[in-house]
Amino acid sequence: MTYYSGKDGTLTYNGTAVAKVSSWSFSASVDTLETTVLTDSDRSYVPGLRQFSGSATIFYYEDVGSTAPAPKPLLEKIISTSAIGESGVTLRLGWSSSKYIQGSVIITSGELSCAVGEVMQATVQFQFTGPLNGVTL
Amino acid sequence: MSSPQGPDFPSLVPTSRSMVPGDFPSKTFSSQSGIQSTVQYGSRRSGQTLELVYDNCSEANAAAIYDHYLACKGTIYFFGVLEGAKSGNSTFHLGNTSASASNRYSAAPFGMRYKYAEPPQFTSVKPGRMSVTIKFVGVLDS
Repeated sequence: MTYYSGKDGTLTYNGTAVAKVSSWSFSASVDTLETTVLTDSDRSYVPGLRQFSGSATIFYYEDVGSTAPAPKPLLEKIISTSAIGESGVTLRLGWSSSKYIQGSVIITSGELSCAVGEVMQATVQFQFTGPLNGVTL
Repeated sequence: MSSPQGPDFPSLVPTSRSMVPGDFPSKTFSSQSGIQSTVQYGSRRSGQTLELVYDNCSEANAAAIYDHYLACKGTIYFFGVLEGAKSGNSTFHLGNTSASASNRYSAAPFGMRYKYAEPPQFTSVKPGRMSVTIKFVGVLDS
């Protein structure tokens, strides 16, 4: 029996692993369309549109020479002096070398927190756009 | 000359339905004293409207409604309405053909005939699902 924990979690941004991830979460939901007609006594539904979203908390740090200056690339998608671009970001949320969820996302919020006695962290929330392009549960 | 008869409207149970029973031909006169007198000109009411809404129905059902509208030459032909469209409120409609209080959704027992009051509206919801709004009007035909 294999259990997974935070030690196994990974977050990959456009193919590059983001270091020092504190946590990530993923959520999937589907709208329901009501199809109840006048002769029914119980409501009935059919599935509507599906959507995926998630969030991640990443320690903010600088590592000289690092190829993954997390979480700057993610934050710059929303915290920037330039206009928001339409170029996609591919995120891959993994919990083992073979198990992951991957898709194109829009960073919908970015939050930086800095407090006495705590390591500075950034929290980003993201909305997947279109279908997932990779799932291995 | 009476209008041609189109095919019956498909027996599809709507998600909502509203009916306005029309009125008898009359004219109301008001005097300067405020007294009103109403003269009834006819013994048969007309203008009954029946609005049917099919929310999130299948494309096949929406296509059947579209095809029926075309087969009735839009708002020109009269047609019958099968039981499905009138079902769900048995006090208002028991499915018989008498001009009784238990047959209120029908037009024919009261001397009227249904035709499209306006073109139906089709709204795409998602692949395979559409919403359709239809309005019939019952008129007296010669």
